[in-house]
Amino acid sequence: MTTTTETALSTAPRASCTADADGRITFHLAPPDPAAFPSPRLLLRLRPKKGQPETTLRVLTLTTAGDGRLSAVLDPLPALPEGRWDLCLQTGPEGERVRLRPGLRDLRALVDGHVRDRPSPVAVRIPYVTKDGYLALRTWLRDAHVEVAGIDVTDRSTTVRARLHGASLDAGASVRLRLRGGKGVERTVAPRAGADGLDLAFTVDHADLLPGSGAGDRVWDVFVLAGSGAGTPLIRAGRLLDDVADRKEIFVHPAATAGEFTVRPYYTVDNDLAVEVVRRT
Amino acid sequence: MKISFLLHNAYGIGGTITTTFNLAQALADRHEVEIVSVLRHRELPNHTLDPRVALRPLVDLRQEKEHPLHLRPARVFPVAEYRYHQYSELTDQRIAEALATTDAEVVIGTRPGLNVHVARQAPAHVLRVGQEHLTLDNHPPRLRTTLRRAYRRLDVVTTVTEADAAAYRRKMRLPGVRVEALPNSVPDPVLPPADGTAKVIVAAGRLVPVKRYDLLIEAFAPVAAAHPDWQLRIYGKGEEHTRLRRLIERLGLHNNALLMGAAAPMEAEWVKGSIGATAANFEPFGMTIVEAMRCGLPVVSTDCPYGPAEIIEDGADGRLVPVGDRDALTAALLDLVGDDELRRRMGRTALSNARRFGPVPVVEQAERLIEAAATARRTGRPPAPPEPARLRRALAGHGFAARDAAYAAASAARRTIRGGQR
Repeated sequence: MTTTTETALSTAPRASCTADADGRITFHLAPPDPAAFPSPRLLLRLRPKKGQPETTLRVLTLTTAGDGRLSAVLDPLPALPEGRWDLCLQTGPEGERVRLRPGLRDLRALVDGHVRDRPSPVAVRIPYVTKDGYLALRTWLRDAHVEVAGIDVTDRSTTVRARLHGASLDAGASVRLRLRGGKGVERTVAPRAGADGLDLAFTVDHADLLPGSGAGDRVWDVFVLAGSGAGTPLIRAGRLLDDVADRKEIFVHPAATAGEFTVRPYYTVDNDLAVEVVRRT
Repeated sequence: MKISFLLHNAYGIGGTITTTFNLAQALADRHEVEIVSVLRHRELPNHTLDPRVALRPLVDLRQEKEHPLHLRPARVFPVAEYRYHQYSELTDQRIAEALATTDAEVVIGTRPGLNVHVARQAPAHVLRVGQEHLTLDNHPPRLRTTLRRAYRRLDVVTTVTEADAAAYRRKMRLPGVRVEALPNSVPDPVLPPADGTAKVIVAAGRLVPVKRYDLLIEAFAPVAAAHPDWQLRIYGKGEEHTRLRRLIERLGLHNNALLMGAAAPMEAEWVKGSIGATAANFEPFGMTIVEAMRCGLPVVSTDCPYGPAEIIEDGADGRLVPVGDRDALTAALLDLVGDDELRRRMGRTALSNARRFGPVPVVEQAERLIEAAATARRTGRPPAPPEPARLRRALAGHGFAARDAAYAAASAARRTIRGGQR
């Protein structure tokens, strides 16, 4: 089994890629064996939910570059739906697909992505390597986005500094922490807005997040409501605007003790901000 | 010429494997090259090997782990070697066979125990090279005693630094053996170099105590306080991970100091930074320093034995600070973080200065070394020319040998006594 996997990995074609600050991604690969790939194409496949059929594909044309390598460009527009995309080399239209292995991923242009203000919708793409060693693309597509800049945890409270992209704060804006699976239970906090209506900071008292007697562990998801009018959409807070596709194990914030609980802000598998409250053992 | 490397395990991950693959690949331009891997535990190597280089495993642990001979201790592979417990009568036998029947003109061992095999078992007509990737001073006395005897039968001993080569010449009496530094090579980068604008300091290596990432994180704290838009990214994994995570939390650096996990290859990660850093207490060579410089990063490093001072030119392409000196490390980082022009200038100098560690210059040096030793063999002259200081050094060498032998005997005696008490 291991042997098969390793052999498949070693023979699969490799693609390197370069990301631009505006979202364009250029893929490069050595020309595959023409007998096996008579008219090769690069295929992006949105990974469907478990048990669901595949619905969304993008095909990129490969052209021969000056150095003899093949290249394909994924333009910034149209924006891709949010999710995880597998990258495949296809033998030809309707032909067989081979998943691509990663070459060098030059993502340096993404590192300071948070300093550029984004219009709505906010579209983000980060090439990454899957756990099983293949090249893939992580995408987000949101009407607006709250980019977390920093988090400070004290004994009693957590303060989040952030910047709004694709919207701006109006009077009456609020921060909402929604209890996951909590049927609409939420906490409201007033943000401190910067002069430009984009920078904001807010502080959450840990005592407000603890469950009543007897209740167990819980998670609060963090949103910003940019205004107070009816129908104002909730904007998810998270950290998407750099080169890190999987943040959870890298951006790790300290936990605070609150009574019988520990409270800790963290990033979800989708790089969204949440606060977990766990009974101490 | 046919050149054969003898490697512990070509299928693993590590600096010796990388550098052997790099050298083998570079030599393959003009020579027939093979790597003989004593052990194999998986189908394919972790590191990519040039297809022109043949790979030949001797003992396949997937099938032969329980081989009766593999359960018996090695007799040729020296007992004082670090990896002695991974060797056996089976490895003794297979290595001996491989050496006896080799059609190569040059055989290169890549660690002390394998150098002993090469010295004792390679046929007389074969040129015998022993590569040392660690350092003489860090070898236990008992291993030094073994090597002192065995290495006399080598034609060439290579170390990765001049400092270590000097230690071999001074402390080992190896008449007629050519001892020379041959640095590790780093392949030519594929990506354009870093341009010095990124507000990221990059470090990479195994998270083990000797690398002193704790010191680097502490030294970074004042940098983050003065320049909160800068990050320290540490790539690698290891036993220190949890301790370093706690230190980052205690210092309130969780927004700026990041444990990134392992990344291979590192090239795409180096170019995201504009300063490289290492705080190690000990660095036999300093591969990551060269990697960072080859990507255009100036490197701030401790001036630890032995590599950094032979790679970095202090003030020109990086900074050298005293070992364990947190404040000096902070000051050097602050100098570079706070001065964009200085950082970019030193980055450009690093890029050009580190070209000497490219495969071409390193392989040319290796070829010169091999040719010279081969010529010396053919003409029957001793490979190392006689020098006036020879006698004095020989006497000093006797002193070191006596001391090592005494240490070795004493520790053997201690082991016997303790063993008896158990």
